[in-house]
Amino acid sequence: MKQIPCKDILLFKSCLVSVEYPGIESSTRYLFDQLGIEYLVDERQSCCTGLGHYYDLFDQFSTTALAARNLAIARETGHKNMAVMCATCYAILKKACQTLEENKEIRDKINNIFEGSGMGQFSYQRGDFDSRSNIFHVAEILYNQKDKISNLSRIDLSSFKMASHHACHYCKAHYADTLGDVRDPQVIDTIIRSCGAQSLEWYDHQRLTCGAGFRQRFTNKDLSLSVTAEKLLSLKEKDVEVLVHMCPNCQMQFDRYQPTIEKILDTEFDIVHLNISQLVALASGADPYRVVGVQTHTVPVEPFLKKLDIDVDLRQKNLERSLVDEERSLVDEERSLVDDGRD
Amino acid sequence: MKTLKMEKNVLELAESINQDLKASKDMGLLKCGQCGMCTSTCPAARHSDYDPREMVKRVLEGDEEVLRDDIIWNCFYCYTCHSVCPVNNSPCLIIQILRQKSIDDGAGLEKVASFLAYGDSFLEFGIGSIPHDFFDNLLEDFGDGWLDLKLNLDDIRGELGLEGYVLPEKALCEIKDILEKTGFKERLDRIRRFKNEANTM
Amino acid sequence: MKSRALKFPSKSDVNIGVFLCRCGGNISDTVDIERLKSSIDAAVVEDFENLCSVKCKKNIRDYIIEKNLDRVVVAACSPTTHKKTFQSYMNPLNPYLLEMANIREQCSWVHSDGEKSTDKALSLTRAAMERVKHAQPLTPIFRKTKKSAAVIGGGISGITAALSLANQGIKTCLIEQKPTIGGNMVKIGKIFSPEKLAEECSMCLLNPLINEVVRHKKIRLLTNTRVKKAERKGGNFNLILEKKAGYIKEDRCTSCGNCVEVCPVNVLDDWNEGLMMRKAIYKPFPQAVPDVYTIDGEHCLKCGKCQEVCKMGAIDFSMKAEVIPINVGSVIIATGHRGFDLARRPEYGYNRFENVVTQMELARIMGVNGPTKGKLFRPSDGRIPHRVVMVQCAGSRDDKPDGKRYCSKICCMVALKHASIIRDHYPDTEVIICYTDMRTAGMYENYFKYGQSKGIRLIRGRPGEVTKKGDNLVVRVEDTLLRETMEIETDMVVLSEAIEPSKGTVELSKILNVGLTEDLFVKEKHSKIKPVNTDVEGVYVCGTAQGPKDITDSISQANAAASKVSELMNGGLEIEPMVAEVYSARCKMCGTCIDVCKYKAIFMDDEQIYIDPLACNACGACISSCKNQAIEVKGQTDDQIFGIISGMLKDKRDDEIRILAFLDGVGYVAADNIGINKIPYPESVRIIKITSINRLMPKHILHAFKEGADGIFLGEYPDNVMYASIQEKLQEFKKKLLENGIESRRLMFYKVYTPYFRGLAAKFVEFHSEILSLNESLDHSFYTPCVPES
Ligand code: SF4
Ligand code: SF4
Ligand code: SF4
Ligand code: SF4
Repeated sequence: MKQIPCKDILLFKSCLVSVEYPGIESSTRYLFDQLGIEYLVDERQSCCTGLGHYYDLFDQFSTTALAARNLAIARETGHKNMAVMCATCYAILKKACQTLEENKEIRDKINNIFEGSGMGQFSYQRGDFDSRSNIFHVAEILYNQKDKISNLSRIDLSSFKMASHHACHYCKAHYADTLGDVRDPQVIDTIIRSCGAQSLEWYDHQRLTCGAGFRQRFTNKDLSLSVTAEKLLSLKEKDVEVLVHMCPNCQMQFDRYQPTIEKILDTEFDIVHLNISQLVALASGADPYRVVGVQTHTVPVEPFLKKLDIDVDLRQKNLERSLVDEERSLVDEERSLVDDGRD
Repeated sequence: MKTLKMEKNVLELAESINQDLKASKDMGLLKCGQCGMCTSTCPAARHSDYDPREMVKRVLEGDEEVLRDDIIWNCFYCYTCHSVCPVNNSPCLIIQILRQKSIDDGAGLEKVASFLAYGDSFLEFGIGSIPHDFFDNLLEDFGDGWLDLKLNLDDIRGELGLEGYVLPEKALCEIKDILEKTGFKERLDRIRRFKNEANTM
Repeated sequence: MKSRALKFPSKSDVNIGVFLCRCGGNISDTVDIERLKSSIDAAVVEDFENLCSVKCKKNIRDYIIEKNLDRVVVAACSPTTHKKTFQSYMNPLNPYLLEMANIREQCSWVHSDGEKSTDKALSLTRAAMERVKHAQPLTPIFRKTKKSAAVIGGGISGITAALSLANQGIKTCLIEQKPTIGGNMVKIGKIFSPEKLAEECSMCLLNPLINEVVRHKKIRLLTNTRVKKAERKGGNFNLILEKKAGYIKEDRCTSCGNCVEVCPVNVLDDWNEGLMMRKAIYKPFPQAVPDVYTIDGEHCLKCGKCQEVCKMGAIDFSMKAEVIPINVGSVIIATGHRGFDLARRPEYGYNRFENVVTQMELARIMGVNGPTKGKLFRPSDGRIPHRVVMVQCAGSRDDKPDGKRYCSKICCMVALKHASIIRDHYPDTEVIICYTDMRTAGMYENYFKYGQSKGIRLIRGRPGEVTKKGDNLVVRVEDTLLRETMEIETDMVVLSEAIEPSKGTVELSKILNVGLTEDLFVKEKHSKIKPVNTDVEGVYVCGTAQGPKDITDSISQANAAASKVSELMNGGLEIEPMVAEVYSARCKMCGTCIDVCKYKAIFMDDEQIYIDPLACNACGACISSCKNQAIEVKGQTDDQIFGIISGMLKDKRDDEIRILAFLDGVGYVAADNIGINKIPYPESVRIIKITSINRLMPKHILHAFKEGADGIFLGEYPDNVMYASIQEKLQEFKKKLLENGIESRRLMFYKVYTPYFRGLAAKFVEFHSEILSLNESLDHSFYTPCVPES
């Protein structure tokens, strides 16, 4: 089994996390802080190209060159362990890292581009990174902390039926690096159980993709949704209440389209979609609106929160409180100005 | 009836796929035993007329027409086939390579034209965004909540204690510079020319 | 029995007789025999028309006696052709005091210039004389191995091997870790018979053999026993066995079974693949041998209830595990296989759905002595299935990290067998086999057709998943012939599980230091010509411990292994004495040489380093590794090598090129073939036969250059286990040449193969011209390779 780090981590920003489910990032950071995991987020890091790459818009060479730049940032900041929140980033970075390591021709070509444009600091030298021992998914980092996670847990989740959706680009693309069994990776399930909830051992279509299929979602919607629907139906049959994700793209596919599919199939799913970081953060008592970010979900998370006895009016209260805070700080400010004036 | 011509090197296509940058090391393309395990777990095969085993067969037969066949655009890139193929072949990677070849060839240009704006946004902001052409459809499916999110993203991120996600100016220049030199910009322009031509026709 | 060399007269004070052969013109038409004869300085120099004809035998012997010869050189054809003949002429001299100069295949047949070939013949003869001066009298090693063997593993392979050995009079210990012998064959119930197109009762075939094992005076049967330690001692093996405490006195137990009724413990019955329960005191199956009850120590509560009811007083909880040391001449590994763990293919639902079973479980279900007394049923509800779908290659032929890359070889036939039985007895049950290829090679094809004719349905496709929809199981597969993805509804799925080496196979191989394949089967020494030898001399393998195979093949291999053992023991073996030997006086027991020898000929027992003459290939690699110069290879001593090098280079003219070509056995035969085919190459090439380049050391190479060699050619067959160290050797030689100011291009290595002699000849030509151009680029008057005095 591979070694999983708990420090020198570059938390790799994901475009879909940033704009669709920012709560995944805030939950991850919250957990890393709670668990004492040392990490860094670097504003210079670019998006991995993922969506465009698998839409076939990008070519492998350009994607690899951008990855080299991002790797260089990790190297420069002394945070060589990449932790990604998105399975696409995971697959893209691994592939790029392997190419840079093994393909001299491509490496030289990319380094030439860097050096010819005054960006020599980004050049990749053989041995800089190892795709197996430097590139991880956040879920793997959490998996490694499973014991600490069960101590963090504050909320009783034992009555909930959950299931995992291990993202294809995490578990299948680089199958030799997948934790546990490629055919049945128990990474998410183990963490779910550490939080005290039940996770389905196996369900039909467990290995089935989410249906996004990159271009399929946009250009072949029927095909795309029939796959998503198939998986949802199978989960419904097992009365699953929460489907736990590790990739914002899968999460989008299920969470955003679930109401549409309900309409098409004329059925109801009652399945809430959470990222594994969101789930663990919730379990450890994080604020659903200021940390977990449930307000960006399409399938409302509130009914689930209610069952957990979490105050669903919290957001409103938060907002009010922050308004009061704001006023108070304004008052403070004025007061200090006055104080200053006094001196 | 088909005649297998003596002079034709059927393996040319397969070999060029094996040498592609996207191909995995030791990809078992030539070892495919046509067992159909890939197809038996393929979502695209379940829900459409696509058949990964057959795609591999056509490649092994040197059938260049496959590049112009719409069916190759049905794969989800889910890597399921890749993860179970008993000879370590990967229909998933093969299709990725075929599509690139199809774009180079011209036939595939129309398939990526719709995502052009993503590339433009990447060049400008270092992060891609979903092209506007799709926005309305998505909005229809995703509902107003999603629109709210799009409109109030910065506030929500603030609420979550997250800083902005826009890259600093210097980083943007670097990314643009790199993508020009890798030929990506030229690639986008080629797609743009195709798109404009198609529109004026 | 060692060929310890006496100190024997050597060097200058010996009488050498040199006998030249004209070979009916084959030699004398090219080589000037008169000049050759007059240029040689020896006690006797004589020429003959046909030296190999019987009458010459007497001639030579007369010379030996009359002239009091100590050594003999025969300059004639290749030693490959007639060395044995001439050795038989040597009486009363020791046959190893003969040396041959190959002036036919490697001289007269490949050169046409009379002058030059006579010169060459002369130097070949002189070299032989130099070498023979250092020859020592040797006696063939006669090895007699202790007439006893251990067979480890009591399945059909082990039983067969043990019976064959015992019938040949060899005392045999049959060791089985389970309480009973019979292995997988007793479990499977029926075996396929492609000849009779029928399924036969495996127990009926096996039982007589098992009984014979028990009755046989030469067989000692040890069940519940495993090998703990093994040590090679001389040519034999010391094994330390441990016999588990069975808590039953085997000689008392009458197998009445009273104890079973009172035992309160219920556990899954592993003999029935966990399909039913048994007690902690049990007999695996009614016909089990030895026919006694046994206590499963892991689960037994030691409550003593059984003890109370046993009228024979056979139960004794004070029994301890017993350590049994044995010493045997040979070991046969027959530790067998086990089924692939289908938990590693979770998508097939083996652990999830009761009605997904393995072929072995199906065999138990349908076994007359199984849980249903032979009735087919679905484990979930005991009903007869309407349809049975078999999934072939479950875990086999799979390159994925946790799969088996090989074809398990038996499962296509096993599936057909079970399908055929089902179709016979339950005609209403449909059987579908999902396959990638049906592998029924040879006569087995008949059985395939026989199965087909019973209406077995075949779908060509490798299933990806087994799942459940409502009450039915569903198999997801593509019918690749129809190009159609489909879900097959069924109520029973049978997975044709791969077979893999048993745990015991891997453990025992470690204990015996026997090499394994990448797939962890015991590796045979050579898959074609030594299929039952392992890489440890005296240890043999048979059955599925060596690789997937069916009962028929296991039995033939077991017989082969037994006859190899009996060859060793009954024949006794005469071994050529030209092997490595350790001089204990000089040996400091550092053990360095042990790892160097990939033939595993060297090992250490308590007191000394020992080289097994049977295992040794005389390659000489160990000599270079020994810091204490404690090892020598007979017939290839340093003196002999230096001697032949000097002899080859004697009287070299200034304008002449001489190349020494050191060739191994294969290379030497190839060189002879060049001669037989009369393909010319430069006279400069002088061939010296060695066992392996590994025998050469930098000092030999430097010596040759110092004595005037212009180039050295090394040829060896690459497909041997010591090839890696040859590569290291070559690097070392190149380095040493560089240090001594000799161009490394003067040393050339070439891979030789017997049939590619033309390539070898071409290489000689090429190397000669390379040397020529190297020499020409030097100012001749200054050319002296600077070699330090050694
Ligand atoms: S690609 Fe692999 S899984 Fe698909 S048919 Fe070929 S060998 Fe079978
Ligand atoms: S990657 Fe494509 S071909 Fe492979 S299983 Fe997924 S959809 Fe099918
Ligand atoms: S014998 Fe048949 S089922 Fe078994 S591995 Fe070989 S091909 Fe597959
Ligand atoms: S001569 Fe070779 S085969 Fe013999 S013991 Fe030495 S290394 Fe082993």
